[in-house]
Amino acid sequence: MKKIMYIFTGILLLVIVSNKPLLAKTDLHGLVRSGQYSKEVLLGIPQPDTMKQSLDGVYNVGTYPLYTPELAPGEGLDMIQGYCNLCHSVTYITMQPPLSADTWEAEVYKMINTYGALIPEDETKRIIAYLQAYYTPETRKQ
Amino acid sequence: MTEKKLDPVSRRILLKMFGVGAAWLGLNKVSSVLAQVSGQATQQMPGFTGPEVNPSWGAVGPFVIFPQKLPLIQITDRPVQLETPRHYYLTPFTPNAAFYVRWHLEGIPNAVNLSEWRLFVEGHVGKRLTLSFTDLMKQFKPVSIAAVNQCTGNSRSRFQPRVPGAQWGNGAMGNALFTGVRLKDVLDAAGIKAGSLCVQFEGLEKGRGLTESVSHRYLKSLNLDDPVINESIVAYEMNGEPLPMLNGFPVRLVVPGKFSTYWIKALTWIRVLTEPDTNFWMIKTYCVPDTPHGNTTVKDVKDGRVNMVPVGTMPIRSFIITPDGSCKIPVEMPVTVRGIAFSGSGRVVNVEFSADDGKTWSKTRLGDDYGKYSFRTWETTWIPKHTGKYALAVRATDEKGTTQPDGEFWNPKGYLWNKIERQELLVDAAQ
Repeated sequence: MKKIMYIFTGILLLVIVSNKPLLAKTDLHGLVRSGQYSKEVLLGIPQPDTMKQSLDGVYNVGTYPLYTPELAPGEGLDMIQGYCNLCHSVTYITMQPPLSADTWEAEVYKMINTYGALIPEDETKRIIAYLQAYYTPETRKQ
Repeated sequence: MTEKKLDPVSRRILLKMFGVGAAWLGLNKVSSVLAQVSGQATQQMPGFTGPEVNPSWGAVGPFVIFPQKLPLIQITDRPVQLETPRHYYLTPFTPNAAFYVRWHLEGIPNAVNLSEWRLFVEGHVGKRLTLSFTDLMKQFKPVSIAAVNQCTGNSRSRFQPRVPGAQWGNGAMGNALFTGVRLKDVLDAAGIKAGSLCVQFEGLEKGRGLTESVSHRYLKSLNLDDPVINESIVAYEMNGEPLPMLNGFPVRLVVPGKFSTYWIKALTWIRVLTEPDTNFWMIKTYCVPDTPHGNTTVKDVKDGRVNMVPVGTMPIRSFIITPDGSCKIPVEMPVTVRGIAFSGSGRVVNVEFSADDGKTWSKTRLGDDYGKYSFRTWETTWIPKHTGKYALAVRATDEKGTTQPDGEFWNPKGYLWNKIERQELLVDAAQ
């Protein structure tokens, strides 16, 4: 029995070291592939810890996490981070489909005229230019 | 939501091969490991869709974790907008932990002290009320209603040309059993004075905008002559539990049959008004063309021919939940096709299924009836007779005879989408 275990362990180690599929195609009727693993390691989402609770009348869920993606680097990005980011995360930009240059201009003026964003005229133009440079159907890469 | 399991035969053989050695190395967990690194998981989804239509059932976006929630699809993180993944719609009630989230302003409650929180009823009333959470539970008769909550912009990523806004797939909806007190009972307790016109609702949600700007407060109103006033409730319970913070703890307004824009979360102020509510959130946004079905064209909008009116009742919709196209189906295999249907304008009485892209239709079996504002599950058995590509389709009809359209549909804000849904899949040889 001990001998058999040694043999099994040996086979296992050989398989792991050689990194080849466990079974040849002919071993099992119909089986095309098995024992293949991705070379890349995908990172999972860490589980948050349970919120500490106490008998104080306060119902607390803690802070809300941010998952804000990076924006395309370029001229005007600092304006976006400074002004747009004040009332909402820039995920509001990356979440959109690529929008036309006209639509981006209208969106920025909607933020100013409708929602009351306080953005000086010069900065407004730079924000529009940035969005048109990186987030239209012709220019969007990421 | 795809899961790839090693079939029992090959698993048995593997275990036999490894015997004690496999257990020693922990390799008897091989099937669950495979599920996590299935072929699809190694290919990253695109970060965005467009300018074409979003081809996925749901929104594209990462799965993210928020308090009291299972991993949901992120639309935005500040303020929070999260979409429910497709397979949570296999049951008539959507679990609280999977229920979609949509806020307008970044000041969303993280913590609420119930010993201080009060619901205020004010304005044109005989007696102003200040009600605690306990008052709501003890001083009024509790009522329950199963009702669908759907974002006005649900499925916005289907529009062509695409329109700006939250790029929802189909998962900005959910159905829950809400328990609370009748809005009418609360209003009667305060006594609405003669000459009142509408009731305005406001929650704890606040934005960074200047105090009187539209980005500071979110306000919605219902007209007092709207029959929905008698059906609305102030809910303190959702599926038998407290509301999740992100779904409006401690109480939210439930307005059965109407889009979610009226279902104010963390409801704190109820104001009876004597004038029409002309605030931005009523007359400038959440508005749809006054045309049949809210349908229009880019040209008509550009030419200024479109009159916009506040959105109201949810049009009828139905969905195929499984099969979802992630696997092929062997020819001649009886498949159970499952889904849901709902309508804001009347009880769903018929759901029809088509396996030929809508050319021919057959009746499906309807699930339990939880009331006319609830999801109604449906299912049917389908046996594909030949191999090839199929386009499955589903359409629902309500008691008023309303059914779903299948033609061109567009409006500038991306609201009211209810076209017939389709699911493409492949049927392959069984031998």
